[in-house]
Amino acid sequence: MKKLQFVRHVWRHRRSHRFHVVGMTLLLMLGLSRPVFAQPISVTGTVTSAGGATLRGVTVRVVGSDVAVLTGAGGKYSITAPSDGSLAFTLLGQRPQTVQVGGRRQIDVTMQQMAYLEQVVVTGYSEEQRRADITGAVASVNIEAANKLTAASLLQKLDANVTGVTVDASGSPGSRSTVRIRGISSFQNNDPLYIVDGTPVQDSYINFLNPNDIASIQVLKDASTASIYGSRASNGVIIIETTKRGSVGPPRATLKVRTGIASPTRGYDDFLILDALQYHEILKRSYVNAGLPVPTNVYGDPNNPRVPSYIWPNNCNPNPCSTVNEANYSFPNNLIMKGSAGTNWWDAVFGSAFVGDYNLDVTGGGLDNAYALSFGYFDQQGTAAYNGFQRGSVRINTQFTRKKLVFGENISLSLERSNGGIPNDPGGFAEDGIIGKNILMQPVVPVRDVGGNFASGKAVGLGNQSNPLKFAWGAKDNVSRNDRIFGNLFAGFDLTPQITIRTRLGFNMGQGSFTGFAPIIPENSEPNFTNNLNENASRFTDWTWSNTIKYGKQYGSHNVSLFLGQEANRQTNRFLAAGISNLINTDLNSRFVQDALGDAATKTVTTIGGESALLSVFGKADYNFSDRYVASVTLRRDGSSNLSPDHRWGTFPAFGLGWRISQEKFLANNKLFSDVMLRFGWGVTGNQAIPSGRIVSQFGGSRGDTYYDIGGTNNTVTAGFRETSLGNKDLKWEENKSTNVGVDLALWDRKVDVVIDVYNRETNNLLFDPPIPATAGIAAPPIVNVGKMENRGIDFSIGHRASNWSVSFNGSRYKNKIVQIDGVQDFFYGPISTRFGNQVINKVGNPIGSFYGYQADGFFSDAADIAAHARQDGAAPGRIKFRDTNGDGQITLADRTIIGSPHPDLTAGLDLSYRRGDWDVSATFFGTFGNEIFDAQKEYYVFRNFSTNVRKDLLTDSWTEQNKNAKYPRLDVNDNFSRAISSFYVEDGSYVRLRNLQLGYEVPPKYLRWIPAAKLYLQAENLFTLTGYDGLDPALPAANIFGPAGDIRDQYRGIDRGSYPSSRTFSLGIITNF
Amino acid sequence: MVRWTALVILAAGVSYGCKDFLEDAAKPQGTLNEQTLQTKAGVEGSLIAAYRTLDWNNGVGGAWGNAASNWVWGSVTSDDAYKGSEASDQPPINDVEAYQWATADAESYLNDKWRGAYEGVVRSNATLRLLKNVTAAKPGEISAADAASIEGEALFLRAHYTFEAWRMWGNIPVYKETDSDFRKANSTAAEALAEIIKDLDAAIAKLPVASRNGQTGRVNQWVAKAYKGRVLVYGGQFPAALTILREVRTAGPYALESSYDKVWTGFKDLENGKETIFAYQASINGGEPNGNDSNYGERLNFPHGGSTLESCCGFHQPSQNLVNFYAVDAQGLPLALTDPNWNARNTNLTAATIIPVDPRLDWTVGRDGVPYKDWGKHADTWIRAPAYGGPYSPKKNVHEKASGASSSVGWVPIQLNSVNMHLFRYADLLLMLAEAEVEAGVLENARTIVNQIRARAAVTAQGPGTDRATIAVPINDSRITWANYRVGQYTTPWTSQADARTRVRYERRVELAMEGQRFFDLQRWGIAEATLNAYLAAEKTRRLYLAAAAPFATRHRYYPIPAIQIELSKVSGAERLKQNAGW
Repeated sequence: MKKLQFVRHVWRHRRSHRFHVVGMTLLLMLGLSRPVFAQPISVTGTVTSAGGATLRGVTVRVVGSDVAVLTGAGGKYSITAPSDGSLAFTLLGQRPQTVQVGGRRQIDVTMQQMAYLEQVVVTGYSEEQRRADITGAVASVNIEAANKLTAASLLQKLDANVTGVTVDASGSPGSRSTVRIRGISSFQNNDPLYIVDGTPVQDSYINFLNPNDIASIQVLKDASTASIYGSRASNGVIIIETTKRGSVGPPRATLKVRTGIASPTRGYDDFLILDALQYHEILKRSYVNAGLPVPTNVYGDPNNPRVPSYIWPNNCNPNPCSTVNEANYSFPNNLIMKGSAGTNWWDAVFGSAFVGDYNLDVTGGGLDNAYALSFGYFDQQGTAAYNGFQRGSVRINTQFTRKKLVFGENISLSLERSNGGIPNDPGGFAEDGIIGKNILMQPVVPVRDVGGNFASGKAVGLGNQSNPLKFAWGAKDNVSRNDRIFGNLFAGFDLTPQITIRTRLGFNMGQGSFTGFAPIIPENSEPNFTNNLNENASRFTDWTWSNTIKYGKQYGSHNVSLFLGQEANRQTNRFLAAGISNLINTDLNSRFVQDALGDAATKTVTTIGGESALLSVFGKADYNFSDRYVASVTLRRDGSSNLSPDHRWGTFPAFGLGWRISQEKFLANNKLFSDVMLRFGWGVTGNQAIPSGRIVSQFGGSRGDTYYDIGGTNNTVTAGFRETSLGNKDLKWEENKSTNVGVDLALWDRKVDVVIDVYNRETNNLLFDPPIPATAGIAAPPIVNVGKMENRGIDFSIGHRASNWSVSFNGSRYKNKIVQIDGVQDFFYGPISTRFGNQVINKVGNPIGSFYGYQADGFFSDAADIAAHARQDGAAPGRIKFRDTNGDGQITLADRTIIGSPHPDLTAGLDLSYRRGDWDVSATFFGTFGNEIFDAQKEYYVFRNFSTNVRKDLLTDSWTEQNKNAKYPRLDVNDNFSRAISSFYVEDGSYVRLRNLQLGYEVPPKYLRWIPAAKLYLQAENLFTLTGYDGLDPALPAANIFGPAGDIRDQYRGIDRGSYPSSRTFSLGIITNF
Repeated sequence: MVRWTALVILAAGVSYGCKDFLEDAAKPQGTLNEQTLQTKAGVEGSLIAAYRTLDWNNGVGGAWGNAASNWVWGSVTSDDAYKGSEASDQPPINDVEAYQWATADAESYLNDKWRGAYEGVVRSNATLRLLKNVTAAKPGEISAADAASIEGEALFLRAHYTFEAWRMWGNIPVYKETDSDFRKANSTAAEALAEIIKDLDAAIAKLPVASRNGQTGRVNQWVAKAYKGRVLVYGGQFPAALTILREVRTAGPYALESSYDKVWTGFKDLENGKETIFAYQASINGGEPNGNDSNYGERLNFPHGGSTLESCCGFHQPSQNLVNFYAVDAQGLPLALTDPNWNARNTNLTAATIIPVDPRLDWTVGRDGVPYKDWGKHADTWIRAPAYGGPYSPKKNVHEKASGASSSVGWVPIQLNSVNMHLFRYADLLLMLAEAEVEAGVLENARTIVNQIRARAAVTAQGPGTDRATIAVPINDSRITWANYRVGQYTTPWTSQADARTRVRYERRVELAMEGQRFFDLQRWGIAEATLNAYLAAEKTRRLYLAAAAPFATRHRYYPIPAIQIELSKVSGAERLKQNAGW
């Protein structure tokens, strides 16, 4: 896609050179403002890189005109130009070149890699800045590398490519991404602000954006750059430009097709018991060790266990079931299930899945207009059964020029559809999702009963899980849709050569719907004979109108630019949900909420809505002296409707200083340091991302909570109200102060680029809702501004680009610390629990979402060991010994302590590419180090809660008198103690993964008669993972959890509750131009 | 010039209505506010919400720890019942049952109960405050009579919820409508009790004699008087209790149901009869999509999947000890009174074993081979894990099939029923009065009361249950083949206070078993430690998992206050709430 990046923001290029130092491209254009044309001639040629590779997609422009073409296959171009004119060659990342035509008809050009500091990136309000003018921390994403990965959202793969960014996502199709920039600044709502073509949006999916349409992504990491977006910028800003505008010439099309096959990177069948009788052995030992009789209802005599002929009906006499009259089978009331010698439940649900990505772009334009159209279709089937995601998208970007007026629009329409049990993660996290504990069904349970219907562990001792395939099947028609219109209309006008005004109306409008159906589950141990339908529909409108004015002028060595703006934003949403139970006909065509179709008494309808607005003014001044000293000052004021009228307005200042030392005499012509830029930035950003209307206390109620049958009628409840949330009339802005010190280095004649940034971020007046004592009631606690949090860290990258190979390595490290909670409490627990309790604490002095529990100190070896240890309830040989951390001689809840952290010490990405002739190969590695995972699945596959299946090595590595250094405690059905939340569940979550390996082949022109160019490639994603983590997949998504004050997933990370594993995907792609 | 004009127009355009722009979007959407509720309807609604917490299930979760019946806290922890179900379901109750109350699991349940009780207090106080505001701001909006009753009802409810907390924790913080500091220190148990009684006195003064609007769920003056008697008995203030309980008996509107089968029932026409003093009014199919307004707290306490109910979970299973306690001697009096070996039997008391029993056994316990109301005969397949929870099922909370009292919505809707949960019924009151009479030395009054209860118990027994008419039949009905029912009277005068006390207590267990009272009774009688350790000694050989139970000790006098609430009570780093002794 690189060939199209040249055209972005043509109108901006043309304007910006008048007031802004924007690198060579523009300097060239400056000198050519009075063109004189001679006789036009036809010029052809080939453009190659310094290493000799031909370059496609290079813009060749007749200087002083809008006539331009792109190089095609083999780097060839053909253009008509004045014989005494000049041609400008530009390609992103390459140093622009201008060549005098001088009457020549063939001009071959070799382009040079552009120095890092000369690169141009988009920063605030779509302004382009040369790196050498940036004083803050701005990272650019290598779009090409990132786009090699198969995902609905490009965000999912940013972490390997850009420093200071972490991304968590699951392998679920269309999965949400948790993108965090430089740690975590607040207890909730930490999504960064995305600016897509100038329109702000805060969203965890961005699935509506076709990654193929994205031309560039810049990450504004520190406040000195982000504060121009003040109000919502405290979590950093990600600027996405889709603009693929056309250029002069006939329509040119690019078709990209990629299809592949995905399968889970790992399955539970790798380490769970797959044999029914082996499972019986676990069962037997657990009972024998506890001194209890072994249940015989399934396997019969424990000394001679057999795979039963039938696991159901119960008590078929004799028990276990050996003879059952299958003729008595009837669904749903008389089910008969055979015993299985060993069901592989993982295999029953997970397998390989198809992935397809199809894109067609068309670009073109005339002297006063340019257009780009793109059509995309993305189809990702889940590796779990009956689960998938599809998106169709259309983008229209056009631009018109009329004298000093430029106007146009960028609009994308997208339709997303996902189906299946766990399309968007939340179901996959709860223990009741397909993966949670359901897939830990015992191997003796068959997938289907004798009648071909789904079976389950109905008999005593087989657990109360649901058949995971049934679960998936039941949800196969649960469809959720999101339709989105996103884009903006813009206009710019040159008042004077120095002053430009611009206006932009951005909009983000969407509607969504979901239809969910739950079938009866007669086969379950806890059966349910009621079916249920629920559906919802939502819509939202979010518009932003921004108006800016810009002034720029050069006075000798002094370069000044001023920028002022004003912005208004308004968001409204409404949500409607309805449901009905006992559908008479469960056919898809009858799944509607209507009285006649189900039990009318069960029909429910609810609507909710919200509204909020922001109003802002902002300004920025940039100063550059002789390309040596750079300074910028930003000031923004924002008003938010979510906050108290008295504290509604917040002020967000920032400044930055830069010193390009390499311009000083003492570093001139230095052999080592070709270019050195020191940067310092400081600034304040804000956050007001809380639900609207929390200034005052809210009241409400519902039939299940506040209504009561006061008349004793048995079926009519009288309305009741309670306080549902407590207001805070003093709500004010959360502020994030950040300091950044950075250096950009080009070493050894610019062969190696190094960027290092060190930062400190401090959040004050942190908006959140600390828990209040129950004596104040269950109303949602007031949101208050009392917390403090701190993030310190370092981001670095080092890269080298040779002519035919390149390598770049980047690393990030942050340290998060809660400094203050509410001034009184020094901790609060995590938002949700697993079956055995809450394993998360947010505690002053520790990072958010730390793991909390007992410190496990191996196993009690014998009675003497028990006697020597602090008094511990249930202490027995082979049970886990907990540490008496407070030294009071007994193990109580007070001994719980911090036992781990989900935050990595380091995340790193490595990108390699190599080209030889028509072939190229590239690889991307990603690694995370030092983070811990709380493997909550151990509650099931080690402690057998709910009689689930367990790990194979429990058979060989559980504590016995002979194996006291075992991995697991003694098998003992009476051991209710070892399973307490402790460090036994905590494992190192470090891993290194080969994210992508791609082999490409540029088809030489001689083989191509019917299309101008083609590239073929073969790629493998997630080919291997190096990790010590014992669970399914160390790449865990953050759980989807909301509290009354918003999204609180950051309080609950790194906990393996059975999430959708990453996929290993092999795919084949082709790119053609015509 | 044109340029500048354009700029001015633009600037004018963008700064439109700046102030209103933010103001308009600041209004909360889809909620009510304090002003909207400053009406009679608001006050009434607030009061309704205060009633709702009587069985408070899913406001924030914790349905089982918050069940109106207190089955976890008052029954499973006593000698009446086991947790039931299977070992791995609801493991926090394993710890509660095993008296391991300091674990994180147990704490989670304790916290549910704490939150439920105080939410009731909060809602009652909100009603009182709102009532004051409305009567001050809008005189005449609420009639004096209504205002008095509303105040009385709210005061009563506050007393009830505070009492619930008091029974559990003793040394609790007490909150009134004027409190705004929610990090108060504990009161002593005695201080808290005094506050509860004070609220009940105030309620008695305000409440009308008959329930307002004729609504049976509302409390009236008699309810408050009866409840005060109960609280006084709990507080050991027997002389005062005697006075008020006698008044309720002689002048109040209550009477025993004509037969025992009518006490716990799903039949609408039998609910809220004369025996009902105060009950949680369960409701079904009133538009609540998950059945949360039903008798939700009891929903796990049904036979498991293999039963004709196709229900789930099999929690709250009656203990072998309880079943044995229903055995009677030749006179139809409790065998336990005379036979020290009354609890020796450790075999499943099925229909095949015909021994003389009190007929209340088969209204309280589901036994194999015995009809289970009208759901057919209870069978071993109805039990989830017999080796774990024993062979018996709970029964009182289960509705009759013919009553049609099941919900049609929610997860396993059959077990979401409209059976009202008795929070205080007249038989309970009579037996408390009998206790007071015994303590006052008026033993014959106590005997009369116990005999009155026993006479009623002798009217019907579980019948074949093929239709409504045969669910309950006379105790000597020839169709009864599964038991030999016998209920005798105490025919000779009671002369020993100690004997009388024992007999009243035995009667109380037989009459009120599985109703969540037993544990609290044992505690207030001061015999919990002896009784429960003896219970454990025998029961750990029957239910082997009970071997893991901690011995019941002095510290078990009160439940530990949830550690999280103690943490949340901190002010400047110092805990305001103090933990109960020994925890």
